[in-house]
Amino acid sequence: MRRFLKLIASPILLVLLVEGLFQAGIWEALAKPESHAGASVQRKRALGDASYARIDYVTLGSSRPEYGIDHEQLAALAAQHGTVHANLSMPGSHWMTIRVLTEWLARHHPEIRGGVIALAVQDFLYTGNGAYELGIVYPFRTPADAGEMAAHVPFDRNDPATWGLYSALFEYREDVQDFVRAPFARLHSLGWWRTRSASETLRANAHETHDMCAFGLDSLAACDRVAASTDERADDLRRQCQQLRGFARDRADLAALARQSPVPAFMQQTRDTVRALLRGLRWPKPPVVVLMPVPRVWTSEVSPVGLHHWALEVLRPLVEDGTIRLIDATELLDDGGRTDCTSFFDFYHQNDAGRARLMAKILPEIESLMHAGPTGPSHRP
Amino acid sequence: MLFNSLHFVVFFFVVLALNQGLRRWPAAQKSMLLAASYYFYGQWSWAYLGIILWSTLLDYAIGLGLVRVRHPRRLLLVSLATNLGLLAFFKYANFLIANWNGVADALAPAWHVTPMDILLPVGISFYTFQSLSYVIDVYRGTSRPRRNLLDYALFVAFFPQLEAGPIVRDYEFFAELDGDRRVDAARMQEALVLIAFGYAKKMVFADNLARFADPVFDAPSQQGFWDTLLAVYAFAFQIYCDFSGYTDIAIGCALLLGFRYPQNFNYPYVAETLQDFWRRWHMSLSRWLRDYLYIPLGGSRHGPARTYFALMLTMLLGGLWHGASWNFVIWGGLHGAWLAFERAVLMRWTVWRSEARAARMLRWLVTFQIVCLAWIFFRSRTFADSRAVFANLWHGSAVAFDPAKHGGIALLLMALLAAHLAGGLRGTKTRLMQAGSAAYAGALAAIVLLVILFTPHASVPFIYFQF
Repeated sequence: MRRFLKLIASPILLVLLVEGLFQAGIWEALAKPESHAGASVQRKRALGDASYARIDYVTLGSSRPEYGIDHEQLAALAAQHGTVHANLSMPGSHWMTIRVLTEWLARHHPEIRGGVIALAVQDFLYTGNGAYELGIVYPFRTPADAGEMAAHVPFDRNDPATWGLYSALFEYREDVQDFVRAPFARLHSLGWWRTRSASETLRANAHETHDMCAFGLDSLAACDRVAASTDERADDLRRQCQQLRGFARDRADLAALARQSPVPAFMQQTRDTVRALLRGLRWPKPPVVVLMPVPRVWTSEVSPVGLHHWALEVLRPLVEDGTIRLIDATELLDDGGRTDCTSFFDFYHQNDAGRARLMAKILPEIESLMHAGPTGPSHRP
Repeated sequence: MLFNSLHFVVFFFVVLALNQGLRRWPAAQKSMLLAASYYFYGQWSWAYLGIILWSTLLDYAIGLGLVRVRHPRRLLLVSLATNLGLLAFFKYANFLIANWNGVADALAPAWHVTPMDILLPVGISFYTFQSLSYVIDVYRGTSRPRRNLLDYALFVAFFPQLEAGPIVRDYEFFAELDGDRRVDAARMQEALVLIAFGYAKKMVFADNLARFADPVFDAPSQQGFWDTLLAVYAFAFQIYCDFSGYTDIAIGCALLLGFRYPQNFNYPYVAETLQDFWRRWHMSLSRWLRDYLYIPLGGSRHGPARTYFALMLTMLLGGLWHGASWNFVIWGGLHGAWLAFERAVLMRWTVWRSEARAARMLRWLVTFQIVCLAWIFFRSRTFADSRAVFANLWHGSAVAFDPAKHGGIALLLMALLAAHLAGGLRGTKTRLMQAGSAAYAGALAAIVLLVILFTPHASVPFIYFQF
């Protein structure tokens, strides 16, 4: 047996060496820019630019703030106050991304004073958003983060997608396969992304001008109209409708569950994780948590009943003790009980008009919360 | 339990450790191996383990009886009838019913028979042939009956070969069982190289090639020329990598447990004639068919006509052994016909027999194309599907090559063919088995990395499990 172990030891050591190189980020230079990991790599590279040697404020969050918040305005506002604001919101980001990113920022940019954490009420249902979020955090995480990450994406030996928690080789498997399938297309794409400046990556807005007025946003009847549509965007919308109908089928009564004592384990876990995470931030200024606008179809038919209330319940003690500042824009784009269809381009995301409407409301608040007053609340250690 | 599962890896490490630990107690070691083999099979079906037990007990008893009774032929017939009866019931009952119903539909619909709900026991074609060979050899007097039931049960059910071969002869197995089964470093290196090659062939190449070949063969009428042609070659390499990958793992595992098994594949696509192909492809089955079918049918001892008849019948039955479908019969028939044509016509042609490089290349090219074309019948679900594949190749437009769609798979197939030819001519695997520690470690690590990085998400069962 000893001889056998000796014979398998040397190849295993070599494999571990390659694993170590992947852990150290050797593949990041080749990661697909359009993938989750690739988006993070682009931001990490931009953060290494000299113009971002000092960062004062950041925006963290999912694709909702990616489209729904005017990052150029926030950057300009920061510049007026002699500070630098970087947008680090990325599609698919959830609590795990916020945790890992803020820890990375604490190590590499301890000078950060504060930031915007923009999510939607749906993000208060669970602590995890699926194994794909591992790709987002990979370029920013250290092997020591694996334990905390497992609280968001539990390891499942039957699901190789979760093996990325502990192995970088497994995390980058699909990226490597994709590269081998079309190496020249990848190199071409990487070349194009390298021409983008750091400020384009960290402050430019994503533009979208389509709206949802042909379908509506107030009920699942919109999905019937999508199904019958020949609109060029219909395929994407049909996919979203499939998700929406799935969520609606399993719609829970969170209000009733929240009345139980103790509340169910998944709610406890979300509540405790979110509170601990936000309390753990060491920014001198309390983060401004923005609950992004959500079309009415979500609150009326899709999201669990009482989800909005639950999200506010999770955040309430943090607001009360000054750990965070809260801007609740969940229903901001509802006019008289109907969602403004000119403000969204799909069932999740605002378009340019929706972004302008939101910013008109929240920019003054953000300015007063982030850029006015003394640095750092007294309660912070 | 599949070789390409985490369950098997854990299982095998436990068995390996126990095998090592029980080295000084052979009876306990053999009992452990038998229990492990039954557990291995039981993970698929505990109920069907009963068929193995029945077959084991029957042939064990018949083996002992054959050397004692006055009319051993009767006992042989009992074994043949029982083993082949079981095989026929599980494998061919519904095939016969379907064909009967085809006739009944035309003549008298009232004769229609409802198909039975039968699940084919994994490995039945393999362990039945293995058990039969023992009984026939004892009957012929070329083997002695094994008195120890434990030894015989292990011969039938030993887990590395149980589900898809190789089909081992009793004298080969018992020589290993009775011999010195200590595993030295050289044997271990050989075994580990085999296992690594096996996993890479199956998980990296076969399973990825399946992703290209399967959609084409599942809907052949919707494909163009290049999709079809590349899918045919992709399947040729898929089935080779799948089956020889399984065999490599089986032989490697057996070797680590102290059993040296005969080779089952020897770079078959290097073959310059179809006869040579069958000396390199599924060698343990070819040997079985030769010894228990072709030679008893007369072989080449009774003139050309009888030889071609024996050849044809052997290949037809060999085709049918693979599965209950006329497509397998056609596949076997094509091989039989070309083997006969080779013998009757080509090998009499001086130019064809020449050892000149051009002649050898021509022979190789023709043989490779014949084998690949025959695979179309093997892979297609129905005869109509096979016709659709041939129609695509015949009528499709060869100018519609799309580099973006076909370039990658074409390059991969060319690389695989080059590696296969190089392996066949230079013996890459054998060299690695004897390589120094640095080359060995580097190559094995590279194979493990290939497996980690390129294994598709969903694991695919081995193709030969269905036979």
